[in-house]
Amino acid sequence: MEAQVCLTPRSEPVQIMKDPLGNSFEYCYQCGLCTASCRTSYAMKYTPRQVMNLLQLGCTDEAVAGGSGLLCTACYSCTFRCPRGVAVTDVMAAIQRRNLASKHADGDVRRFYRSFIRTVERHGRFHEAEFLARYFIPNPVLLTKEVGLGLKLLTKGKISLTPPTMKNPKAIAAMFRKAEEIEGRP
Amino acid sequence: MRYAYYPGCSLAGSSRECEESIQATMRVLGVQWKELEDWNCCGSATATGISYLLSLALPARNLALAEQAESDLVTGCTRCYLNLIRAMHYIQHNANLRDNVNAVLAEAGVQYSGTARLRHILDVIINDVGLDVVAEKVTRPLDGLKVAAYYGCCQGMWTYAQFDSVEDPTCFDRLLAALGAEVVYYPLKTACCGGSLSMSKRSVGANLIGDLLAAAIAAEADCIVTACPMCMFNLNSFQAEAGRIKGRRFHLPVLFLTQLLGLAFGLPPKTLGLQRNIVPVDGILKKIAAGAPVPTREPVASGPK
Repeated sequence: MEAQVCLTPRSEPVQIMKDPLGNSFEYCYQCGLCTASCRTSYAMKYTPRQVMNLLQLGCTDEAVAGGSGLLCTACYSCTFRCPRGVAVTDVMAAIQRRNLASKHADGDVRRFYRSFIRTVERHGRFHEAEFLARYFIPNPVLLTKEVGLGLKLLTKGKISLTPPTMKNPKAIAAMFRKAEEIEGRP
Repeated sequence: MRYAYYPGCSLAGSSRECEESIQATMRVLGVQWKELEDWNCCGSATATGISYLLSLALPARNLALAEQAESDLVTGCTRCYLNLIRAMHYIQHNANLRDNVNAVLAEAGVQYSGTARLRHILDVIINDVGLDVVAEKVTRPLDGLKVAAYYGCCQGMWTYAQFDSVEDPTCFDRLLAALGAEVVYYPLKTACCGGSLSMSKRSVGANLIGDLLAAAIAAEADCIVTACPMCMFNLNSFQAEAGRIKGRRFHLPVLFLTQLLGLAFGLPPKTLGLQRNIVPVDGILKKIAAGAPVPTREPVASGPK
């Protein structure tokens, strides 16, 4: 994707993300402590510092297209250390939500997130076996790569085939619906 | 002290060896708790990828339940702890967010007022039980065992800030020293293991895991000990992939903190779920068995759960 170049300094805060902390990039003064603290920045097209800069310049689409959000492990080192109080991890999460909602998202990665959260929506708790089925069955290549580990986990008694038992999982599903009603889709 | 124990999905599922060892060692230490009734998933590292509000409301429901139970909420999972403390912190500093979270929680019939108290299991062991009591319970000192204390990735920065130094936590080192183990210098002790990247972006996740394993081996550690079930899973499960990336073979036992604690208490390996560890721990068991046991004290009483 072509970079969307827009270098005019802004006089007003840019409200790009839906959550308040997602907009905290406005305070960034480009010191780079976030990138220095980040263990996965080496694999990113745009490092966290560069992402903050792109957002400040209004190049949101380019910042999202870089896909850095999907490499954030949410370890919060950058957020903890940022001298300007930027919630870097939450900015990255806002980018990640856009990545996952995009048509161009890597299908496997998107299915990973969706499968995980879907089991929580259904049962109120994470259900490994259902997650594995949802994640692996649509991609047999992935499945064959992981079958060794899967068998090991099964024989060690680490994967439960029966779903978790919450008293009222419907309450959690209702929370999912309400959150979407308030926030809208990403 | 009243505790409501929040196991979380990992401990209740794929990391049940951690859970088994937590329950066994807490019985020895006389810590009594009730499981938080009808707890739900904290959202792990994936909820933020779906919805910002949900990533706060999911942990907030557990906080609200702990408020109802008038108990300190205790968790043995660093990721759960992180999500819970993040929710507490963000909601406290944003009234609008609190209203939205409570609007979501109303669907589940609870409200979060902001008075919940959150505890990490290390915090309970070190600050409530006390290292002197821990040392008294040791029947099999870990003399000669070289251990890399891995604080459970940088998530720890938020976790340990509550009861230890942010950049250089030492609580874990002190605990292991009380068991007689030799804690090696481990500069990556607060570096992230990659979390779920081991699944969603294997090449990156396995590279980070390789760094952690290599650093522990360079420090001549016999094993890594971690306080986080996610790190435990990653460091155990992906040693072959990490080896391929680093061009070497890894075979380093990785234990959960309470597994090693239990061994020092003389508990049988099965009670501590050690047979479930992906990398076999036979070498560690032999090394501990070779050490001289402390003369027998009265048998360890097993208290209620």
